[in-house]
Amino acid sequence: MDILDTNMILYSAAFGLMLIGIGGIVISNHLIRIIFGIALLEAGANLLLLLSTYHEGASAPIIVNGNMPAMMADPVPQALVLTAIVIGVGILALALSLAIRVQRAYGTLDMREVRLKLEQEISDEAGIGMPSSSDKPADIRKLPFNSVIQQEGGS
Amino acid sequence: MNLLVLMITLPLLTAFLLSIINRASIFAARVIGPLVLLATASIGISVWSQLGAAPLAVQWGGFQAPLGITLYADQFGLLFALAITIGTLLLWPKSSENQLRSSSLALLLAGTGSGLALSGDLFNIYVFYELMTVVSYGLIAGRGTSGSFASTLRYLVISGFGAALALAGIALVYQATGTLNLAQLAQLSPEKLNNMQGFAAFVLMLIGFGVKAELFPVNMWVPEVYATASSRVSALLAGVVSKLALLIIMRLLILVFHQPEALTVLLVLGILGVASGELAAWRARDLNRMLAFSSIGQLGVMFIALSIPGNAGIFAALAVAVHHLFLKPSMFLLAERWGGSIKGLAGAAATSPVGAALFVLLSLSLIGVPPLPGFWAKLLVIMPLLALDQPLYYFAAFVILAAASLEANYLFRVVMKLYDKEPAGKPHRPHATADLATAVFLGAGLAAAVFMLVPLADRLDSIAAQATDVSAYIQAVAPQSLETGRVQ
Repeated sequence: MDILDTNMILYSAAFGLMLIGIGGIVISNHLIRIIFGIALLEAGANLLLLLSTYHEGASAPIIVNGNMPAMMADPVPQALVLTAIVIGVGILALALSLAIRVQRAYGTLDMREVRLKLEQEISDEAGIGMPSSSDKPADIRKLPFNSVIQQEGGS
Repeated sequence: MNLLVLMITLPLLTAFLLSIINRASIFAARVIGPLVLLATASIGISVWSQLGAAPLAVQWGGFQAPLGITLYADQFGLLFALAITIGTLLLWPKSSENQLRSSSLALLLAGTGSGLALSGDLFNIYVFYELMTVVSYGLIAGRGTSGSFASTLRYLVISGFGAALALAGIALVYQATGTLNLAQLAQLSPEKLNNMQGFAAFVLMLIGFGVKAELFPVNMWVPEVYATASSRVSALLAGVVSKLALLIIMRLLILVFHQPEALTVLLVLGILGVASGELAAWRARDLNRMLAFSSIGQLGVMFIALSIPGNAGIFAALAVAVHHLFLKPSMFLLAERWGGSIKGLAGAAATSPVGAALFVLLSLSLIGVPPLPGFWAKLLVIMPLLALDQPLYYFAAFVILAAASLEANYLFRVVMKLYDKEPAGKPHRPHATADLATAVFLGAGLAAAVFMLVPLADRLDSIAAQATDVSAYIQAVAPQSLETGRVQ
């Protein structure tokens, strides 16, 4: 198969967009970047859905004056993608407005900090201390150079 | 039989009209929501009573199966449609300053949930699932605390990720078969989806719909959301909405995906869910998050049950699901006043003896102490697991039993605190009457089940048998043989 086949390019674009989106969600910590990661992932999934019945040169499935076009595009995925895009835009707007609320409440958009502050808030409300977290070491480890640094700082 | 359509449209329509009705009369807006849900539930029950042995298919607008929109009602789907309708009615949001908004959202939840349970094609399942997800964001964030906004946002990120994966899975299915109608998919899948592409589609859709069903790798949102949302919303999400997502996975498994690898994936994720959920619940120090983690564990048991091939698996999963449907909302309602640290619960039984007694009953059933329904539900899972005689299935049975002992440990810890002689510093407020009444009602349903186990089991068995009858599904939706294939 020709590597520059149209279908090949389109499919790699769809999977590529999805991979970039997943990468963005998993790797980045900034909430806005994560939200854009979701948008990219959705775009990739939508493209994949459109490609599922893509025929090159197909025309819209409308019968004009009783003439049936030779090859018609399948309208079902297009309808589904249209719905998915509308839902996606709505969720994107909701996510951004929630991000504004979170930023106002916690003063940060860093996902790690948001998680810690959320954990703190739940624990405070419940009246229990923060659980011992693996994110933060409990104490400075007693290593030879640690004590040297401390002594230097103290003197 | 177009009454069935009303189960979906009536709550949706009322939800959007509610703010207009509110302008005319605040009282009417307050009353109409529960009344509509009551009407919807009675429609559902009347359809159920006329249903009999043959399932029912409704083609919207009279367009026939592969082209039109299909609603499919068997006892299985109707049971869950009724569960979300009656569940929303019982857990109707409390009156507060934004009563109007939360009433609209609750009605939307009931309508979209019924739609999800009754949909007969993947397109509508996707749309209703997304709508239900958006509604639950609104319900969680409706409490208005900074914590609820943050947990909604974190939930939204995971959910958006899952929805996109599910959409990609649907794309793969459509690419292979050229249809989204479940009846037509059931006919085409043995030939066209019994390959790697079908398996990939299954995994994508499992993870996508698994977000709401608290499936193992995508359930990080559960403890945060249940700890920050109001207890009625947590009860709805943990009790009913998670079961609706499970219903979708069951339907897909019965009708579309038959690969043996699919069952292995379910089994492994289920085992991980039980183990991680129960261990986390054991470590939890506040009641809300303990219940949230235990709900992950229970959903894990359902996924293990689903991995049992054949009718027995669906029957067992259904039994555990129905048990959990009654039990978890009741527990969350009790946790409303008992939220916060478990240590602080000392002596709470003195101020609310009924609540404490109910909690003991529910705990015993959750652990699976013999006469209670929880025991029989777990037995239904473990017996076929052992009968399969394979190492991984033996291991799953072992994990479920080990989880039961963990459950006993952490739930009895709460019970011991409740009946502690020395009360904690501040006196406990007794439960609100409405909360306690609903919790007692659900608990009484559970206790009553003890006395009619045999008819109940027969009924669940027949529901499962009807749900697994693929040819009946095809017969009901498309009596003529479907040979249209892909539209060119």
